[in-house]
Amino acid sequence: MKKQFIILLIVAGILAFFTTCSDTGKYKALIITGQAEHDWQTSSAILKKLLDQTGMFHTRILATPEKGGDMSAFNPAFSKYQLVVLAYNGEPWPENVNTAFIDYVNNGGGVVVCNESGNAFPDWKEYNQMIGLGGGEGRDQSAGPYVYFRRNEMVIDTAGTLSAPAVTSQEFEIRTKITDHPVTAGLPARWLHGSDMLSGPLRGPAISLDILATAWSDPRAQGSGRDEPALMVIAYGKGKIFHTTLGYPQDGGGPALECAGFITTFQRGAEWAVTGNVTQPVPLDFPSAAAASLRPGFVVPTLDEVMKNLGNYDIQKSTRYFSLLQSYLRQAGGDEKSLLNYEKMMVKVLKAPETTVEAKKLLLRELSWMGSDYCVPGIRNLAGNAEIQDEAEFALARLQATN
Amino acid sequence: MLRRTSRRAFVKRSATAVAGAFVLPQIVPSSVFGMGGKLAPSDRIVIGAIGTGSQGMSNMRDFLRLGSQLQFVAVCDVDALRLSKARETVDGANKNSDCRTYMDYRELLEKEKLDAVSIALPDHWHGIIYTETINKKVAVYGEKPISRTIADGQTIVKACRKNNTIWQTGSWQRSLPNFHRGAELAINGRVGKISHIEVGLPDGSRGIGTPPVKEVPPELDWDMWLGPAPEVPYRGVAHWDWRWILDYSGGQLTDWAGHHIDIANWGAGLENTGPVEIAGSGVYPVDGIFNAPVEYDFICKYANGIEMRVANSSRLIHGMGTTWYGELGWVHTNRGNQLTASDPGILEEVIGENEIKLYKSENHWQNFIDCIRTGKETITPIEGAYRAISVALLGEIAMTTGETIKWDPDKEVIIGNPRASRLLSRPYRKPWTLPTV
Repeated sequence: MKKQFIILLIVAGILAFFTTCSDTGKYKALIITGQAEHDWQTSSAILKKLLDQTGMFHTRILATPEKGGDMSAFNPAFSKYQLVVLAYNGEPWPENVNTAFIDYVNNGGGVVVCNESGNAFPDWKEYNQMIGLGGGEGRDQSAGPYVYFRRNEMVIDTAGTLSAPAVTSQEFEIRTKITDHPVTAGLPARWLHGSDMLSGPLRGPAISLDILATAWSDPRAQGSGRDEPALMVIAYGKGKIFHTTLGYPQDGGGPALECAGFITTFQRGAEWAVTGNVTQPVPLDFPSAAAASLRPGFVVPTLDEVMKNLGNYDIQKSTRYFSLLQSYLRQAGGDEKSLLNYEKMMVKVLKAPETTVEAKKLLLRELSWMGSDYCVPGIRNLAGNAEIQDEAEFALARLQATN
Repeated sequence: MLRRTSRRAFVKRSATAVAGAFVLPQIVPSSVFGMGGKLAPSDRIVIGAIGTGSQGMSNMRDFLRLGSQLQFVAVCDVDALRLSKARETVDGANKNSDCRTYMDYRELLEKEKLDAVSIALPDHWHGIIYTETINKKVAVYGEKPISRTIADGQTIVKACRKNNTIWQTGSWQRSLPNFHRGAELAINGRVGKISHIEVGLPDGSRGIGTPPVKEVPPELDWDMWLGPAPEVPYRGVAHWDWRWILDYSGGQLTDWAGHHIDIANWGAGLENTGPVEIAGSGVYPVDGIFNAPVEYDFICKYANGIEMRVANSSRLIHGMGTTWYGELGWVHTNRGNQLTASDPGILEEVIGENEIKLYKSENHWQNFIDCIRTGKETITPIEGAYRAISVALLGEIAMTTGETIKWDPDKEVIIGNPRASRLLSRPYRKPWTLPTV
């Protein structure tokens, strides 16, 4: 018994050692939440998951006291972190916390301002400079001009009073305005964001602000007809701030957060806020203007999952996994080794008895151009199958024309 | 010169009207008829239409505006409702009820003795129907893009050359003054030596997911609509929205190649050649039945050093249209009579006597009819149409493979890449085959 206990201790020690080791080299991130209009417990857990998923961050969540609670004990050690993510819209923080936060940013700390935090602290001057633009909460002319785009031109409106359209959750189009910033480099010029609350109009000091992307508030969907700022970067002191108006949680998550576009820009924005660079590639499931792209469960689809799901492909349900396979093939860029690897996996799915007829047809179409000699015998065996005879012959005709 | 067949056709159709006349002229040289003024019925161009959807009807109306110069006699479509509307339009213009209708283009080509045919079909049908029509020695007004694949395009070009066919492409921008002027400024060096060109084409639009399988409406011959394309169940996507599905089209990119890429080539003297290297990437829908790229951005290098960037308009400073750049500045042209330059002075430049004068046409449909009479080349001959769509199709191949494609514009083959070469053609669904020339 005693011996077992010692072994257990040793195992625990080794585990602890490796856990610590695996976290070394990671940036320390702090999510501050605790007061918001919605279920902040769930949404902040999602943000933590997304940050940790990059493999770059070790994230902690810190909640302020509830509304009306005693804030005196709330005193985050900002300087221990490289990234502070704000998912908070509530009562003012104590003055010493504000000062510490300003120092943190001035000294080069990275910040991500998420959705609801863009409405926070309307009376805190430095904070409003850090977020560039903010919304609601009684912000008036004294907060700064409205900034938005109309017909591709930036409008800085110092005089007018803009009414906010009635906000309903809907899909809307994000338009990339700055394409050579690390956060947005390689993103589509336009993409459809999962159903979300469209923020705007926004106003603020707009100092050292770059609007990377806007959200199209479509009048046909009771929108304002303006392109409202959606993704912004702000320089403050030595610090870098990434501000996203996207990702209003519904029922603790929902399409606004599951959107692969939100996830990607949030993760890239976090990296940029810390390092000034982005090493994360644009994922294969990034949305386009044609359709939003959601990641249920926030799981990045792996190649194995794509292949597994291809077998029970049902066009009526989704074409997603087939589209992802095509993305893998494009991304291979002609690399023989990768393509052969995909080809082998595709032939395996093609041969599996449980694979649907539709899936076989689609696989044959892809193999017809990217396949090698490897797939030919397998396709020949299928050519007698009446249901897919056309596609099999199509593939063989193409493969044999140039092999 | 008018051809014998049309004369015979006229005789046949007019048999009752000319009863009792014993000597009928078999051939009347077109030179005896003036080009203007009222034409004798015997000198009218006898024309039919294959494909009477939105673009087909638009072309038909443009031809009907030319009045008595031509005689519309037959229409063909796989949708009986559209066919009926097309017949009504023709009969209304002819003030009779003589327009004949066909749901199979082969029957139309067999039974009708046409001088010309106006064709506006989904791209996947172009290879077969253009070639068959040209093989019948009928002049063609054919919608761009002229083909869905490079192999189809090559066959169509070969057929035109062999049969010496009058061909006009639906690239009507060449017949508008701003595009003509922009191209003429560019080709005469008013921006300096052209270094690069930017071509902005429309962004792709939103998808419709995957609609459920529906019963084929009784008026539609779905199998004939699909033709050489793979057999798929009908989901209510035939007219118009076929353009966003790769089996039938390459999306906005291939739809608009015949406009702004064509103009780019015209103004850079590239209309009879192609790029030597093509590389770029696209953005594809992640879900839904539409699978054509909604964004695309690729660069074509030409042997003379010019680089042409083709992208969806949101990615380009000048947006839609064609911009030629050189060491002296740029000239941009687009629809809506747009013509702008880095220096307004460029636009005031006079093209001298000894400089290049580009082909001038003021009415694209009239130009086609005139060329049938004179035997001259139209403003948009087949070669240029083929070279314009080749740029888009090679771009499509570069994006599909993710590779840099090397192209030999003289031999018209992809160099050293069997995989990419497969994408130059598509096997057809049985029993359809690309006709031999």
